[in-house]
Amino acid sequence: MIEAFLLAMRQLQTKKVRTLLILLGISVGVAAVVGVTSLGEGIRVNAVEEIEKSHDLTLIEVSPGVSNGNIILITESKVRAVREYGSVVAPYVKDAYVTPNKTYFEVNGISAEYMDAKNLQLEAGMWLEEGTYQIVLGSDIGEKFSKIEGVEIGNAIDARIRLYGEEGRAIDKDITFMIAGRLKPTGTDTDDQAFIDMNIARELTGKDVYDGIMVKLDKSGQAPAVRTAIEKLGLTCYSAQDEIDSVNKIMNAVTLVLAFFSSISLIVGGLMIINTMIVSVYERTHEIGITKAIGASESDIIRLFLSECIIIGVLGGILGDLLGVIFSILIDTVGRPMLIAQLGIADFEHLTVINIQILAAGFLISLVISVIAGIYPAWRGAKLDPVKALRQL
Amino acid sequence: MWMVETQGLSKYYTFGSGNQVVALNDVNLTVESGEFVSIMGPSGSGKSTLLNIVGCLDKPTSGDVYIDDAKIDYGNAGSLVQLHRQTMGFVFQGFNLISTMNAMENVWYPMYFNKVPKPERKKRAEELLESVGLRDRALHLPSELSGGEQQRVAIARSLANHPRLILADEPTGNIDSRTGKMIIDLMKKLNKEQGITFIVTTHDKAMANNADRVITITDGEIVD
Repeated sequence: MIEAFLLAMRQLQTKKVRTLLILLGISVGVAAVVGVTSLGEGIRVNAVEEIEKSHDLTLIEVSPGVSNGNIILITESKVRAVREYGSVVAPYVKDAYVTPNKTYFEVNGISAEYMDAKNLQLEAGMWLEEGTYQIVLGSDIGEKFSKIEGVEIGNAIDARIRLYGEEGRAIDKDITFMIAGRLKPTGTDTDDQAFIDMNIARELTGKDVYDGIMVKLDKSGQAPAVRTAIEKLGLTCYSAQDEIDSVNKIMNAVTLVLAFFSSISLIVGGLMIINTMIVSVYERTHEIGITKAIGASESDIIRLFLSECIIIGVLGGILGDLLGVIFSILIDTVGRPMLIAQLGIADFEHLTVINIQILAAGFLISLVISVIAGIYPAWRGAKLDPVKALRQL
Repeated sequence: MWMVETQGLSKYYTFGSGNQVVALNDVNLTVESGEFVSIMGPSGSGKSTLLNIVGCLDKPTSGDVYIDDAKIDYGNAGSLVQLHRQTMGFVFQGFNLISTMNAMENVWYPMYFNKVPKPERKKRAEELLESVGLRDRALHLPSELSGGEQQRVAIARSLANHPRLILADEPTGNIDSRTGKMIIDLMKKLNKEQGITFIVTTHDKAMANNADRVITITDGEIVD
């Protein structure tokens, strides 16, 4: 078999220009696929990194579940069950309050564990004291209060909560909170939330269940197992992994479509190989006649031609990968500053990502297309009538 | 024991217009093992067709060919390939060397298809080139060799797999008579020393004079 390749190599060397042109044809196609795929992969990696940066992958947010139309509430016993799985388990309640100036804001009734689980950090003021009507504001809501309500840390803020009595009648309750501190901006929905002591919150609303649980894990690797376990309790789970999964799903689809369109150039490359090999069979008709007379079988002839195609495929794959890397670097150097300037997105390291899978795929595509393209010409060569072939000069 | 036997061998060519040309008509021929047979006849008489059918490059329209008393099954491509690889060798008028391969490679090429191990192939190719007096031309391409030299390389190639039958189609047709004499002598020598059977079509009187037997074909039939 190695000899078949050496013989094929010889044939290709005698037609250097032609071979070089086919190689370029196939490798440009591979390069297009590699480049486009690297762009898709780059966008995906950047999106995932962005999610990982702004989200905590070791955090699972548990909310009430729904089963057969019934709502599964987070009761004390559920909280106890969940405590088995996380290193920090923080149940909380959530209610909507409104100020006299009609600023609606979300208030979470939390315990100290919640602060650990969400890694909340103060920017100014102090943390709330348990058992008091103190409130800590997220960075955005804090800013809003200072602008609209004119209240700062240390000031009191009036708030009203609407509750519903047994007959469904609305009962409004007025409370005054003391602003204890303000949190650092996080870029998450925490910025729009305010926090009070959980026991105070439950006292105000008379709730005997929780609205959610924050479950903090030691390692993000535990997340899938813990999630499954909590979901078995009938509760709903959410984690940043959900977003990563959906980004992966979307980007895979987008990349596939892009790669499909860029692979049209590969079809052209394949047709080039078919054409060149047919010409080659025609030119070598006489030689094929001789080869048959000295004992070559049809499969020997096919092997000779396919060996040439395999060499073209391998060289085309390598060259295509090289061009693809260059193409990808080009997209990165030209496209990245343009994107940053136009969209004003936060700086990211690379717009394109090349990995071994992309290169392997590019190489394989070249090889497979070359071999498929060679089958028909090789078959035609093998089927030549030796007498006619020998007569042709 | 016959090396080659044909029974009622006929070959017709039918053209698109429905015209039929008779290339061979009921040819019965026997060639003994170790015989040197020369086939003569004018152009278009059917001698090349006969050689091609015996050499399994072409199929007869009717009739049978036996090689070593075994009937050739023209439908069985595998058995034909084996005959080409192991039993027979070809020498052509136009030499038919492969232009991209040097003399040495041309000689070992049949052994490559016959799956002869590489070192053995090289050794035999060297010996064969030596025996036709071209040891020092081994690395030359056919285009760098004279007609006589090319035909000697072609003879060396035909001997590669130790054939017992060599079919030569006008081997001296493209070379001058002096060189032609060398080729005839070489073939005679191989016939005498190694007992290889030769069937040679020719126009060359000198070739015919050296044959054990001369067969004349006219219009696809053996005349005498």
